[in-house]
Amino acid sequence: MTDGKSDVLQGTLDLMVLKTLEAMGPLHGYGIARRIEQISEDALSLNQGTIYASLVRLLQRGWISAAWGASENNRKARFYSLTKAGRKQLSVEAENWERISGVIGRVLQLANRG
Amino acid sequence: MLASLRVIASRIRGIFSVRREDREFTDELDAHLEMLTEENIRRGMSLAEARRQAHIRLGGAAQLREMNRDLRSLPFLETLLQDLRYGLRMLRKSPGFTAVAVLTLALGIGANSAVFSAIDAILLRPLPFPDADQLMQISQYHLKEKNSNPFVAPVRLEDWNRMNSTFQAMTGYYAEDDSEISGPLPEKVTIAFVAPRFLQVWGIAPALGRDFATVEERFGGPGAVLISHRFWENRFGGDPNALGKKLRIGRFSLAIVGVMPASFLFPNRDVDLWSPDGVGGPYAQNRDLTWYTIVGRLKQSVTLAQSRANLATVQSQLGKQYPKPDADLAVNVQSLKEIVIGGIGRSFWMLFGSVSLLLLIACTNIAALLLARSSRRQHEISIRFALGGSRTAIMRQLLTETFLLALGGAAVGLIVAAAASKIFQTLAATLPRVQEIHLNATVVLYSLACSLIVTFLCGLLPAIRAARKSIAVSLAQASFTQVSTRNRLQWLLVGVQVALAITLLAGAGLLIRGFQELGRVSPGFQPDHLLTFHISASYGETVNLKAMTQRIDRTIDSLAALPGVSSTAVSAKLPGVPSEWPQEFKIAEGQIDPNRKIVADSRAVSLSYFATVQIPLLEGRSCRELPNGADVLVNRSFANTYFGQSNPIGHHLSVTGDQYSPLGEIRGIVGDAREEGLNHAPGPTVYWCISGAMPDPYYLVRTLGKPITMARTIRERIRSIEPTRSVFDIAPLTDHIDEAFSENRISAVLLGFFAATALSLACLGLYGTLSYSVAIRQREIGLRMALGALPGRIATRFLLQGLRICFIGCAVGVTLAVALGRVLSGMLFGVSPTDVVTLSGVIFIMLIAAAISALVPSLRASHVDPMVALRYE
Repeated sequence: MTDGKSDVLQGTLDLMVLKTLEAMGPLHGYGIARRIEQISEDALSLNQGTIYASLVRLLQRGWISAAWGASENNRKARFYSLTKAGRKQLSVEAENWERISGVIGRVLQLANRG
Repeated sequence: MLASLRVIASRIRGIFSVRREDREFTDELDAHLEMLTEENIRRGMSLAEARRQAHIRLGGAAQLREMNRDLRSLPFLETLLQDLRYGLRMLRKSPGFTAVAVLTLALGIGANSAVFSAIDAILLRPLPFPDADQLMQISQYHLKEKNSNPFVAPVRLEDWNRMNSTFQAMTGYYAEDDSEISGPLPEKVTIAFVAPRFLQVWGIAPALGRDFATVEERFGGPGAVLISHRFWENRFGGDPNALGKKLRIGRFSLAIVGVMPASFLFPNRDVDLWSPDGVGGPYAQNRDLTWYTIVGRLKQSVTLAQSRANLATVQSQLGKQYPKPDADLAVNVQSLKEIVIGGIGRSFWMLFGSVSLLLLIACTNIAALLLARSSRRQHEISIRFALGGSRTAIMRQLLTETFLLALGGAAVGLIVAAAASKIFQTLAATLPRVQEIHLNATVVLYSLACSLIVTFLCGLLPAIRAARKSIAVSLAQASFTQVSTRNRLQWLLVGVQVALAITLLAGAGLLIRGFQELGRVSPGFQPDHLLTFHISASYGETVNLKAMTQRIDRTIDSLAALPGVSSTAVSAKLPGVPSEWPQEFKIAEGQIDPNRKIVADSRAVSLSYFATVQIPLLEGRSCRELPNGADVLVNRSFANTYFGQSNPIGHHLSVTGDQYSPLGEIRGIVGDAREEGLNHAPGPTVYWCISGAMPDPYYLVRTLGKPITMARTIRERIRSIEPTRSVFDIAPLTDHIDEAFSENRISAVLLGFFAATALSLACLGLYGTLSYSVAIRQREIGLRMALGALPGRIATRFLLQGLRICFIGCAVGVTLAVALGRVLSGMLFGVSPTDVVTLSGVIFIMLIAAAISALVPSLRASHVDPMVALRYE
């Protein structure tokens, strides 16, 4: 159960997955991983498997749902989509994130000045 | 919060769908890999290179699956399930061990659960009424008299009910055995005459029909009756049309207004009918005429102490209003449950203590078995260590196995307990609430708790020992060459079993010896060949005491004339059955020591009583047949205690403080008899020669043959002389006397059974440990024999090793038994808790049994073939 990563890191990945699903609509694991890599301009080259830990966590909290469907190449794939609760959670988390990043930004600026 | 609950729920669901989820996840990863591969091909890689890169980008599939599974379900539960599966497999592999262990634990847990189910039903659970803890019994007592009448006058009940502020309501009742005569034959019924508010106080409504109407509760109002469920079934076959039908009791015609629920059995389980005891009747106005037993329901959150204080105030107000007699009266309030269960609690806790000892023995036994087994499994355990199993993992595995055994024991034990509760109900039918004993969720939970406790009691020690890494590794090699005894712990456990078994044996032995002593006692009267019974009658007959007395005398004479009957008498109480009712007496002529209170048991008997029960007249003459019956006889003990050297004959006695008491002339002195119960030394007794002291006395018939064979003849004779009365409770006097000791007898029987079980378990433990010791020392024995040791010497050595630990166990056990003997002191008769004969007898039995069970393995040791044993080297 423990995978050594801090909650913050797990949280950021979860937040990115939620945001991706909100922006893109239903998507399979590969698609989500690709999309995150593209947005970060491959700066965040991740071990794509870790996406699945995030997906299980989000599924268990009821923020996303999963269903089997056909991919663009007509291949069987599992599609994830945002639930109502997930949408609400995303807005809460995004707000939190902005506030925290704002605070951290200010703190860092202060530190630079000092 | 909600989200985390959802996580847990989904994880629990995950446990049950591990395989499907695994498959799906594999499919998902495969799809992902293919997509990555395609992308890589698009970028211009070769197929092989594209696959390789895809695997690198995704990460290790096996690790991902592992992570996924951990996230989806609860890993500790999964290991638990795995432990359980493995444990079951291990137990299946050694069915003999499993069977012995499960049966031993079943006996221990079963006996424990059985006694617990009785304790739960009788002592712990509330009475079967709504908010039963609010129900109180209220009685009055006279401040200046010892053992005054606890019953209450109807007017006083109404005063209390009106003036108190702590009770929701109070009611009263009195019950008697009468005959219902609307059918072809008189049928004995137990009828309770009840005061107003009866059903309100119980909080119970009739199952069918209605409560009494106010007009029916008034004296002279229309007769109404509620019938019990059993009476309804027996008499009317459960027909709802029984409502409105009329019953006839004596002069009264009573219309059935309702049927009570089957569970409502108050005041006792024999009750058939409830009828209003007319309010405002002429006798009910007298503050001295008392016949009600009062039950009240406390208001919400009022304590017992508050209600006592409140009623004391009420009574002191009444004392001012009616100085005579209320100023001399005080009120007592007691929980109804306490009154119903009486003093039976002690016996049950004693039994509970003994079954707990039994369970402890069973646990010790299993612990020893497990120790032996785990040293045989050292090889397996050291392999597990070698493969990287952690200490906790191995302990957990071993404990899981023990838990499975305990669970099996509990399951079989519950069957034992269910059977035991049936046996108990037949064996102890007279105990209060015994019919409420049955298996329920509480008992099942209790057994489960037992099995958990058992798991740790008998599993922890072996598990800790087995999981000691150093020992495990060293023993894995040592077991082939072991010489000395390393199983000191096992021998200690045998000693503990012996000590505990001795404790139980001593308890059982003392109780049984008590019964032997009881049988040896000379009661002072002749209880054999006496048949006892009741003839239905009503307290209404006391209005005409003369007629009632004549009726009883006529019956006595008529029965005495029957062939096969040598004499007949009546008595208010049965001889030999405890029913103490001491009263304080006054001697009209003045007493030797004016400061000494004259207290004696008071018994009302017919003239023929002494000839019938065969109490000899020692001095003076027998009673005269007086119209008001005021002659008395006293026993030797009374004469010696209160008259010393002077002659009591011719003095006159009356009951102190009882204005209605006649003045009785002492006519003679009779022999002392143990009428208060065979276990009581005879005390001072006064016999009033009155056959009509109560409408429904016990009839005592001395028969020439077996008493019960006369039952039919007697019934027929009563029917011919008293066609409207029924005969009931026909039983030999000896049955009643036996019944008086039923609680002690049950304790003795059960304790004896537990002790026998404990003895066999201890012997089994000794046998097992010694056998094991012989088995692992085979090579040592072989070596000794090869060097010339005599087989007899070797057998003796092992035998003595077994017996030595038994000696120590016996010593500890006897000490324990003496310390715990106080628990039994109230139940013992004629033996002290430290009775030397019993204790040494018990030790003797233990040692004999131990010697027998040690003999077989010892002999086996002497038959070890030196060649076979040495060939291993």
